[in-house]
Amino acid sequence: MAENYTGPLERIDAVRWRIPKSYKEGMRVDGMIYADDVLVDAIKQDKSPEQVANVACLPGIVRYSLAMPDIHWGYGFCIGGVAATDPEQGGVISPGGVGYDINCGVRLIRTHLMYKDARDDMGRLVDELFNTVPCGVGKGGVVKFSKPELKKLMTDGSTFVVKRGFGWESDVEATEARGCMDGADADFVSDRALERGRDQCGTLGSGNHFLEVQVVEKIDDRQAASVMGLAEGQLTVMIHSGSRGLGYQVCEDALHELQHTPRKYGIELPDPQLVCAPIHSVEGQKYLKAMRAAANFAWCNRQIMTHLAREAFSNVFGLPPERLGMNLIYDVAHNIAKMEPYDVDGRSCNLCVHRKGATRAFPPGHPELPDRYRNIGQPVLVPGDMGRASYVLVGREGSMEHTFGSSCHGAGRRMSRGAAIRASKGRSIKRELAERGVVARSRGRTGLEEEQPDAYKDVNQVVDVLHAAAISQKVARLRPVGVIKG
Amino acid sequence: MEGTFQFFDHTADMGVRVRAGTMPELFVTAVEGLYKAVGEIAAGRRLEPFALEITGDSSAVILRDALNEILFFLENRRRKVVGWSRVEFSPGGLEAHGSAAIVDDAKSMYDREVKAVTYHELGVRPVDGGFEATFILDI
Repeated sequence: MAENYTGPLERIDAVRWRIPKSYKEGMRVDGMIYADDVLVDAIKQDKSPEQVANVACLPGIVRYSLAMPDIHWGYGFCIGGVAATDPEQGGVISPGGVGYDINCGVRLIRTHLMYKDARDDMGRLVDELFNTVPCGVGKGGVVKFSKPELKKLMTDGSTFVVKRGFGWESDVEATEARGCMDGADADFVSDRALERGRDQCGTLGSGNHFLEVQVVEKIDDRQAASVMGLAEGQLTVMIHSGSRGLGYQVCEDALHELQHTPRKYGIELPDPQLVCAPIHSVEGQKYLKAMRAAANFAWCNRQIMTHLAREAFSNVFGLPPERLGMNLIYDVAHNIAKMEPYDVDGRSCNLCVHRKGATRAFPPGHPELPDRYRNIGQPVLVPGDMGRASYVLVGREGSMEHTFGSSCHGAGRRMSRGAAIRASKGRSIKRELAERGVVARSRGRTGLEEEQPDAYKDVNQVVDVLHAAAISQKVARLRPVGVIKG
Repeated sequence: MEGTFQFFDHTADMGVRVRAGTMPELFVTAVEGLYKAVGEIAAGRRLEPFALEITGDSSAVILRDALNEILFFLENRRRKVVGWSRVEFSPGGLEAHGSAAIVDDAKSMYDREVKAVTYHELGVRPVDGGFEATFILDI
């Protein structure tokens, strides 16, 4: 269904490609794609560069419509897209620039365990995690919240569930925005969204969401790794999930309500999937308040699963999680829109940065970073695929200069789900993973096939591009040794 | 034309193309496609009435909104529509009545969770002998 992109892509340097604003009527800024020569060929295989050009048409967009190297075709915006809009210049907020899974994100928990000592327990550990952390279609969470509780949870964020015993105070400190976006208003979240979220807080979901046990395979930056408490051979836990049905419904409600909003404000769009509203408008504010509430739900979701993962480790290794050193290294959102201050052409602006499949990557010294990361930069967590690797990076100065403090969010798909299933015919992905030393458990029939390693680009190439561009810097490569999927 | 559906490739999500002789058949077949995307959904024997009423500006949006209702009914009420007694599709809306049963998770075999039926690539068009709809499921 996807057609190749045949429009212009002008090389700027080894890792940047421009779509000039002359390409398409209505483009207000250039498009800018980060990729090397190999990745750019894959990127041209679908419509995602066209989507980069479309986003460049949004009112109030500043500097560039950006795409990270893990870019692929998405809804309105491409996945891997970053766009900053200036509310004082008529800038808009677009739900398509956040995505259905609001605050889909990743967190990384370290342990004191060394893989060499725990290798024989891996099957038991993965089984325990699989039975403890709810995953897959129709699986409700271990805790159900009443409507007033849900609203409070969406207002207070991670602190709400930590106070109820699902985690440690230090987890909050190690979460982007301390697990709570200011300006959330749960009164703008529909009853249907509340119903969808009622028993889903603390559930993994399915699709590309996962919980992985990973071993630190290679350290690239010893100082940053040391600050994060990472060493080669150590076991870590990575959790990838979002706001579940509640967030999907907030997006759905907004898309429905904003259908006619562009016409009301005289906004012409090249693609109706980019429906949007001026940030200062009633409609724009309503979506932002609901989106922030859903984002806070997502942080609580990952927080409860952190607690459950600690319980599973504790059950298998017979020690309390504190003794196992299961501290949260960091939690990052990669589907979100946030108001952030930037200098643009010598002017201080508070911009609305849409990150859809892109991770915040603030450099050392940024005031939003927790004290312990102030000197090394913000940890950027980049899941790859379940057979090869994931990465821990830190943000660098180039991110503020070029990408509105953003880096990539993953490897990026290169195969459709259908193609991945066809490519799995006659193979056992579970066995292939086992041969690579990965114990995998999946609730769905096709989860492992659809998410097999070959379905993704090589994450090494993706992070190398942003390392070369001084957007983010490699700290550690993690190799999966245990996977649970929905 | 007998109602048929097939999945088509999308980078991260899943496309569905549906064909049927009439608009009501198109809707009923699209529901089958949606269920199939989720997996093999087993339902109990005890039936209860199900009714759906959707209004909208276009056939495509009405179809999309109706499918999202079916999805919500499946995901949150754990009910599957197992038969249709009356389906009326007009330019301004859809009215459907049928019977539903409780999903039997123990007997179901799931493939994937569908987040939503999106506006992405959404369309309904007349074709030889009936209608064709396309839509993308966000996975």
